[in-house]
Amino acid sequence: MKIRKVVLLGSLVAACLLLLTLQTRGYGWVAGDFFAVVTTPIQTGLAKASRATFGLWTTYLDWKNVRAENRRLREEVQELRVRALRVSETDDENRRLRRLLAMQENLPLTTLSGEIIAREWGGWIRSLTVNRGRGDNVPRLTAVISPNGLIGRVVDVRPGVSIVQVLTDPTSTVGAHVLRTRTPGIVEGDPRGTLRFKFMARDGASIQSGDTLVTAGQGGLFPRGIPIGTVRAIDNRGAALFHYAEITPAVDYARLDEVLLVTGDSQRDLTAFFPTGG
Amino acid sequence: MRALLVLTVAGGSVAHATLTPLVTIAGVPPDIPLIIVVLLALRRGPEFGSLTGFVSGLLQDAAGGGLIGVQALTKAVIGFAIGVAGGRLRVSQPLVQVPGLVVLTIAEGLARFALLQVFRFPAPFGELMTYVVLPQALCNGFVGAAFVLALTWTQTMRDHFEGSRP
Repeated sequence: MKIRKVVLLGSLVAACLLLLTLQTRGYGWVAGDFFAVVTTPIQTGLAKASRATFGLWTTYLDWKNVRAENRRLREEVQELRVRALRVSETDDENRRLRRLLAMQENLPLTTLSGEIIAREWGGWIRSLTVNRGRGDNVPRLTAVISPNGLIGRVVDVRPGVSIVQVLTDPTSTVGAHVLRTRTPGIVEGDPRGTLRFKFMARDGASIQSGDTLVTAGQGGLFPRGIPIGTVRAIDNRGAALFHYAEITPAVDYARLDEVLLVTGDSQRDLTAFFPTGG
Repeated sequence: MRALLVLTVAGGSVAHATLTPLVTIAGVPPDIPLIIVVLLALRRGPEFGSLTGFVSGLLQDAAGGGLIGVQALTKAVIGFAIGVAGGRLRVSQPLVQVPGLVVLTIAEGLARFALLQVFRFPAPFGELMTYVVLPQALCNGFVGAAFVLALTWTQTMRDHFEGSRP
């Protein structure tokens, strides 16, 4: 039994040595060619299979990475969008406040800035709540303005807040005149939330669409020359005593955030301090 | 079972040259055919070990592009030797397997170098040992231990399932 094992090993060793000797004597190609017939197809197949497998694996890893990166980038985009919105909002607020401050400094009036904290826009009442109240010594009927023009008047002063009646409130009336023609009249609010200018027919014959209306300053409630709006259309009522003009307000009341409360009295015409287009 | 063995030995040996670059450990490729030869020789004895070593070495030589017969000879001798010694050693211990495979790889390297010297192989012994044989020996030790553990676990699971059958 032992001899058989030794003979087997001896044969194998002899075969190897024979092969090696043949190769060193220049007959290597015979053995090489013989084995190549067996090994080459297997190696080719394995190489293809391994390449395909690893290619698949690499593709999967790439896909996974791309997916993760995609998710990360989406989150980043969302974050940047929010940040951009915040920046835009802050920028906008900054611009508004700068304008308000510039106006407050330029106006020959004592004013108090305030922030709108609530709005009543139902139709029965149109008002704004400003965060200035009794503690700030805001008197009732104080005129409220913005850099674009008149907003309304304070109708109620409470601790910490004031209620501002907006010009479009159905019960609001303001004495006004057309800047170009000096035609006097009354600006009234109506339940639709629009403004109209009521004037005597004989005085307003030359009023045109696009004319600017400013406060008349009579009665001492509103300073003279604050823009109210521009004439959009004229409602000619023929022989009637009064005619009406539809007015586009100078201020977009729905989009206001900051206002100025005119706490001091002024006899000066303020037209020059506002953008009237005229 | 025999077909599977032939496929493992022959396919594994040919595949070694193709797939080795993919299974390197820290840049060192393990000599998987040697590990298989050793494990089979331990289980099946010197005859099987020497034959397996011869076939796998021959195919490795052919696939690798070296002198055909060098690895066939060294692996056949290793297979025979470990097959003879296997019955006298407690080879189921990992503490024996790792150093055992390290020593066997070094022995195989030495044998291969000696054989190649006969055929005027020019590489210097020191560098060959430092950069090729010793790192591969360590690698073989750990990969071989992992092989044995995996085989033991498979065997245990098989016994467990066969034992639980009615």
